[in-house]
Amino acid sequence: MSDRYDIHELMVCRIASEMTDDEDLVTILGSFTPLAYASYMLAKLTHAPDAWMVGYNSIGMPAVELSFTGAEAAAYRGAYARNSFTPNGHLVHLGTHGLLECVSAAQMDGDGAINLSVIGPYDSPKVRLPGGAGAPEVVQNYRKVVAYFSKHDARTLVKKVDFATGRRTPVSKDAREKLGLVTDGPVTIVTPLAVLAKSDDDRPFAIESLHPGVTAEEVVENTGFELEVPADIPTTTEPTDEQVKLLRETIDPLGTVRFDFLGGAERLAYLDEVLAKEWARAEALLAKG
Amino acid sequence: MSKPSKVVELEQLSDLIPADATVAFGGGWFANHPMAAARQLVRAERTDIHAMALLGTIEIDMLVGAKVLSHLTFSMVTLEAFGLAQAFRRAVQSGELPITELPALSLQVGLEASAQSVPFLPVRGPIGSDLVAMHPEFFGTASSSFGDEDVMVVKAVRPTVAIVHALRADRLGNAQFDGTFGQDPELASASDIVIVTAEEIVESAEIAADAHLTKIPGFLVDHVIEAPFGAHPCSHVPRYSQDAWEILEYQKAAMAGGDDYEAYLDRLRNETEAEYRERVLGDDRGRVLGALAQAGPTLEPQS
Repeated sequence: MSDRYDIHELMVCRIASEMTDDEDLVTILGSFTPLAYASYMLAKLTHAPDAWMVGYNSIGMPAVELSFTGAEAAAYRGAYARNSFTPNGHLVHLGTHGLLECVSAAQMDGDGAINLSVIGPYDSPKVRLPGGAGAPEVVQNYRKVVAYFSKHDARTLVKKVDFATGRRTPVSKDAREKLGLVTDGPVTIVTPLAVLAKSDDDRPFAIESLHPGVTAEEVVENTGFELEVPADIPTTTEPTDEQVKLLRETIDPLGTVRFDFLGGAERLAYLDEVLAKEWARAEALLAKG
Repeated sequence: MSKPSKVVELEQLSDLIPADATVAFGGGWFANHPMAAARQLVRAERTDIHAMALLGTIEIDMLVGAKVLSHLTFSMVTLEAFGLAQAFRRAVQSGELPITELPALSLQVGLEASAQSVPFLPVRGPIGSDLVAMHPEFFGTASSSFGDEDVMVVKAVRPTVAIVHALRADRLGNAQFDGTFGQDPELASASDIVIVTAEEIVESAEIAADAHLTKIPGFLVDHVIEAPFGAHPCSHVPRYSQDAWEILEYQKAAMAGGDDYEAYLDRLRNETEAEYRERVLGDDRGRVLGALAQAGPTLEPQS
């Protein structure tokens, strides 16, 4: 592990590489999942300045600094258009102009199913999770689906999810066309250990790359579903100094990406810290008039 | 002769909602939820509401916590970076709150079917989701005489009541939105009774002057209620940003549960909406939220 960057920064850079502006396709931000947001902003500020983003009701929003109290206003102020959710859904999701969907779930399995609903039996759950919002439709209609996880363990990447809120399989063009789906493409998993990808319905997820210092054995051991282990596995591209600097100083100076890695009480304490910084900035705004 | 005004007071809200009504709440994420209306239902001590939320958050969690709901139809209920919605989670885990979980885009299409007065509409659906098999009353298939393959369809969804929060409205019910408005217009067009809370009630001439902001025409609207900071602690951009500090205070109480959480709800029950505003938005909070909503700095690509 490098002392030049944190592991979540490597994950952000890997996800950002999926976002391109080669075609007029759209990425919708969804609820505030800081790691995904940071990835989109990094792409937009570097290799994909003309990538289309939709945040809240704003279409063609600019890159914004991640914060609780400023991001929505920035999206509003810099966007090319505003549209209500249902027409936006028709335009982007159901209209299949969607490019990249980043999703983080409580569980994912080797069949590309994501669980955002329950841990345990559906009718008497151990933990009731938020639900998938539009993810069940979105993961089947976008070009690229990246699932990211703050932990790589067999409790998260499981043999079979407790409940399939949504599913990104089959992956092959033919099988998808038979189901009335017009987009195809692989499903990718990004974790603190590795990148996994499934691009063939008849084969399991394969290790696409290992993060520096991680072994294939370690990944297999911590994955609950079957994995294909190629003979030569490349190392995941490390963030450049420029990317790290952009993330820390420009995109996420408040450090919101850490929220994806904290639970319960720790998260609340960190929220206090970040919100104190946001309050100080707000007071400065008022003082400026 | 002109019709009587649709404007009523917030205190009358509960009287406008029939017993056991399905009530769709507007807004999305931490933006623009009709929070003043949700607080008023807590004050009215309703216990029979079937709520519907697409991208629900603190408004739904609070209604669940105060035991206002008898059922919840939803796509998502979350406090996002603040953590899981605690009252919602506890009530579902204990079996106290019956739920219907539906994918958001399919639910939107179901609402659209209702708005168009058709019994169902096709949707490019959530294939492979367990929610499809779980809800045969909502997801179906239909064939056509055109020779196409059978398609997945969703049943029309018709809420009894929609409550949405607008920037401005007039006595006729014309409702204007500028920043984030979720799927509020679609909820209005799909529901039997439409209640608009608004930051301010204005003259119809003022509505006409900015006609491009009118997202819900008055003929759809039954009642209009003036509710300044009516989305607080959610945002109503460009008027005010999300009050993350108040949301955190709520979440701390909800995570603690028990007496701490009851105290939070009791305080709401025992104050009027005007008293709530004075308590929470004093000490510069309101001005800070306004300044934040106006600022919104954006980032430029690196050259």
